[in-house]
Amino acid sequence: MLPAIILITAFGSAGAVYLAGKVHPRLRNGLAVLSSLVLAGLVGYGYGQKSELVTISDFLGVDLVLRLNSLAWFFAIYIVIINAGSVVFSLSYMKGKERLDFYYSMMLLVSAGMLGIVLSGDLLSFYIFWEITSWSTYLLISYRRGPALHAGMKYIIMSLIGSCAMLVGILSLYGTFGTLGIPELRAAISGCSPGYALFILLTMGVAFGVKFAILPLHTWMPDAHSEAVSPFSAVLSGVLVRMGMYGFLLIMYSMVGLKAVLSLGSGVLDFHYLFCWLGALTIVIPTFIALLQNDAKRLLAWHGIGQGGYMILGMALGTSMGVAGGIFHTINHGSYIALLFLVVGAVEYRTGGVRDLNRLGGLIKKMPVAFVGCLVGIMGLIGIPLTNGFVSKWLIYKTLITEGHPFLAFMAFVGTWGTILSVYKLLHNMFLGQLPEKYKEVRKSPLSMQIPILFFCLVIFFFGIFPGIPLRVIQGIQGTMGFAPLRLTLWGLASDAGALNMLNICFALVIAFAVVFLLMRLGPKGRRVAQHDSYAAGSFVPVDKYHYTVEFYNPLYRMISPYLKDRVDQFYYWIAHRASDIFDVTRKIYTGYAGTYVLYIVSFLAFLIFVQLVWRTW
Amino acid sequence: MSPILLIAVPLGLAFIIPLLALVSRKLSAYVPAVGMLFNLVVSLYLLPSVLSKPIVVRTAGFAPPFSIHLVAGPLGLLLAGLVALVGLLVAIYATGYIKEGSVPRYHALYLLLLVGATGIVLTGDLFNLFVFFEILCISSYALVGYRGDKAGIESAVKYLIQGAIGSSLVLVGIGFLYGAFGTLSMADIAGNIRSVRPMTVFISMAFVVTGFGVEAAIFPLNAWLPDAHSSAPSSISAILSGIAIKAGLYAVARVLFTVYGAETFLPFILVLGLLTLLVGEMSAFSQNNIKRLLAYSSMGQMGLIVFALGLASAAGVEGALFLVVSHGLAKALLFLSVGYMIYRTGSMEISSLHGMAKKMPVSSLCFTIGAFSLVGLPPFIGFPGKFMVVRAALEKADVLYTVLVAIALLGTVVEGAYFFRIVQGLYFKPAPEGAVAGAGGGREAPFSALLPACVLAVAILVVGVCPHILTDYLGPAASDLLDKAAYIKHVLGV
Repeated sequence: MLPAIILITAFGSAGAVYLAGKVHPRLRNGLAVLSSLVLAGLVGYGYGQKSELVTISDFLGVDLVLRLNSLAWFFAIYIVIINAGSVVFSLSYMKGKERLDFYYSMMLLVSAGMLGIVLSGDLLSFYIFWEITSWSTYLLISYRRGPALHAGMKYIIMSLIGSCAMLVGILSLYGTFGTLGIPELRAAISGCSPGYALFILLTMGVAFGVKFAILPLHTWMPDAHSEAVSPFSAVLSGVLVRMGMYGFLLIMYSMVGLKAVLSLGSGVLDFHYLFCWLGALTIVIPTFIALLQNDAKRLLAWHGIGQGGYMILGMALGTSMGVAGGIFHTINHGSYIALLFLVVGAVEYRTGGVRDLNRLGGLIKKMPVAFVGCLVGIMGLIGIPLTNGFVSKWLIYKTLITEGHPFLAFMAFVGTWGTILSVYKLLHNMFLGQLPEKYKEVRKSPLSMQIPILFFCLVIFFFGIFPGIPLRVIQGIQGTMGFAPLRLTLWGLASDAGALNMLNICFALVIAFAVVFLLMRLGPKGRRVAQHDSYAAGSFVPVDKYHYTVEFYNPLYRMISPYLKDRVDQFYYWIAHRASDIFDVTRKIYTGYAGTYVLYIVSFLAFLIFVQLVWRTW
Repeated sequence: MSPILLIAVPLGLAFIIPLLALVSRKLSAYVPAVGMLFNLVVSLYLLPSVLSKPIVVRTAGFAPPFSIHLVAGPLGLLLAGLVALVGLLVAIYATGYIKEGSVPRYHALYLLLLVGATGIVLTGDLFNLFVFFEILCISSYALVGYRGDKAGIESAVKYLIQGAIGSSLVLVGIGFLYGAFGTLSMADIAGNIRSVRPMTVFISMAFVVTGFGVEAAIFPLNAWLPDAHSSAPSSISAILSGIAIKAGLYAVARVLFTVYGAETFLPFILVLGLLTLLVGEMSAFSQNNIKRLLAYSSMGQMGLIVFALGLASAAGVEGALFLVVSHGLAKALLFLSVGYMIYRTGSMEISSLHGMAKKMPVSSLCFTIGAFSLVGLPPFIGFPGKFMVVRAALEKADVLYTVLVAIALLGTVVEGAYFFRIVQGLYFKPAPEGAVAGAGGGREAPFSALLPACVLAVAILVVGVCPHILTDYLGPAASDLLDKAAYIKHVLGV
């Protein structure tokens, strides 16, 4: 019953919030927060439960099934928590904006759709919820107007192409096996030919790849993420995109099966090996493109793509530790990227919509909580010890090394290097350096923004220090997919190739901090000076010239930017333009002269009779 | 209750309208709604009883094949029900929408059009099929030019020219058949089709299919459609798209499947469907005129339906019939909701509809629901239709069909592209500056327009969530079309 209750609550609250907004805005906001929390509670309550429920039997010949299992629960809790954080953040961020009834209702609808995706027990319900999520996301991206309209179109068209491919895959499965239930398919599919398995993986993989923004299907993402309103960017990048991950896990390991996936193809043309390389490319190229961005949200959006590469890399390796790393990295990424989008949103909110990194700076004293959030977020993104990103990346690196993939490992390291460079730019250009004159009056972020920011910071450290807790859940998921269990402890895990113990690392770091702190206290005291009290060789330097964040990394930029054009995007635009030219030519068939039209009719008749007379075709 | 009432009552009412108009013009506007309500009730009442065996109505005491007879099978009644439902809702809409011109004449012609459509789907002999087809066509020519403006008359004449050629081709084709078989009963001809030289049969089929194909909007016979749909009053565009072309398609399908039993011809029909789909969607893509765009989109949807029919399997025909209903409802909804937007802004340019959601929220919402449904998004009625068609194509387990259905799906992506752009315009683009306010400024449409639109929107949502409301009838309806032997047996009683 629980999955049905969760979904009814989720979809019901999306509608109720809209109606409540017609009564009073306060009621609407309250209801939105309340229902997000209730949903989080309901999903949390479902921990460890397993249930299956036929909701509608014989919907177009298929039984629609909802089911709750460890994989569904894991993704569900992740969806509701990030959604709840974003809804709370929206309270002040969205204040005074137009069409808020629509906004809140769509926020809840998107998360309801995603909950539907993960709670589906058959591929038809999966597809239905997938599409509901797609169109509601399109509406919500478009909400911001202006350039967001273009982003929304790009998203929905790519998404439609993906879902058409998925529909073909799903219905081909139905045609072959006569069922769409995931457990039934799992049993049926094991005996099918490798070619067919590849066909299924590819058709459905296109849909998941578009949503996941894996290279070369990523082009919608930078636009959509930067143009959406910030709380929704957090949801978009944190969870919605990761529905693709869920999809990959579902088809690769829950349906086709570990063994079949690993034995697909041979030699260099090994399916999972090629998939790994796709993941590695998805790490490197977008991460360095991120380095070139000056728009804070665009920078994060490109990181969203790049970090996805780690998840794919971990997942496609197909070993216990790799897949665990991939899944763990998914939620870790969700927590810190959501945090970073919220931080950027907070800065945007207080500075009047500025997210251009060349025009910010020095906000550390004005917005301390946002600074802390940003610092923790980028630590997670880089994967510094004590944050959750460290653990999941450790798992992935470890697997790459023990499995003997030095080149892949190198790509992953290069990705981290690019990450460090580009997120330092984010932190520095927003919070460090000189405070521009016009931001003297900036106030700290409101409480409803601080709460989710601090909450996500806590999550990042908690999962970083006690990785055993989430990994235990992940292990449960892996058990259902036929992976060997990992040797977990609360603080990390043991393995033949070296153990991970966060307790030790924690101690080491605490001691190191203590030593540094002591040395600082023992040494001579520094003298605090005013911001402009500096030596400029006798010539007066205007205050704004102190702001040295402009054109950060300029030499590096000039060096690498020619290699990092998004040619895939250009290629898609080229196709779109050519297609639209062809469409215009096609339209000329209808000339507007009745004479031509009569000619069409008569020649059609003549054609039919001619063909039959000559060839006797029909 | 006899199915003949479905034709007789509205026909009688159509002739009463001019007389009633002498007493009260206002009252006469409600007559079509009454007639269609009657039809809706009767066809839904009869539908369950014909699922196993059609009702064959004889006239003048002669048994088929010698008389004019009606065959009210599951397919006929299902479509008659659709005609009545859409006809009823559009009739309600028209009570407020049609104000200028000779209003009683509009309503009389409108009812005649629906009589024609109902007759087409219920008749059992070819000549009657032709007669009802002509009733449908002639009243629609007149209605397209109803406003009497230049564009209206021009496209009505173009439509008339092409339609008249189509009708005469049909007549010639039927003449061939009569010459060869000496009968006009479809069942009788179907039973003896093998007894005549195949070439004679084929020539007649070519004529009939081409002729009906004009009304069914099959490429390349569909050039009248964009002009006629865009110049007609919106209520008539809704009927033309929702009902008239479906009636034409029914005629094509009925003669192909039942009379000629042309299995070998169907792959060609499938390709034609695909072409119709692609040409329609491609032409719609960069349209600036909203009604022309909707007309081209109807063309595309008809292509998908023809494609599904061309699959020639039970699943394919069921999918096609589902799409007939889903497209009928969704396109009627689109035309109705756009009708008052055009009326209020005085322009059919898509850019003039920008920002409409502020002024006409209900109409915009209805438009959005219709558009999403046409693209085939769940939970709207278009989704099960698309699902069934794709499933039917993939059931063939043939690479060729997989490729063809992939091409068809690309067509729906194009459709999605232009509909999503319009929806964005309605909700998220600023209203054009200095917009020429048409009649009524920026008010929402009146109740008489919102009621039918909302009913359609709710129907689209409800059937989309519970498609079995419809699919329960589709099995028998599909076999009504596919199972030729049973049809002959039921009608001739042998």
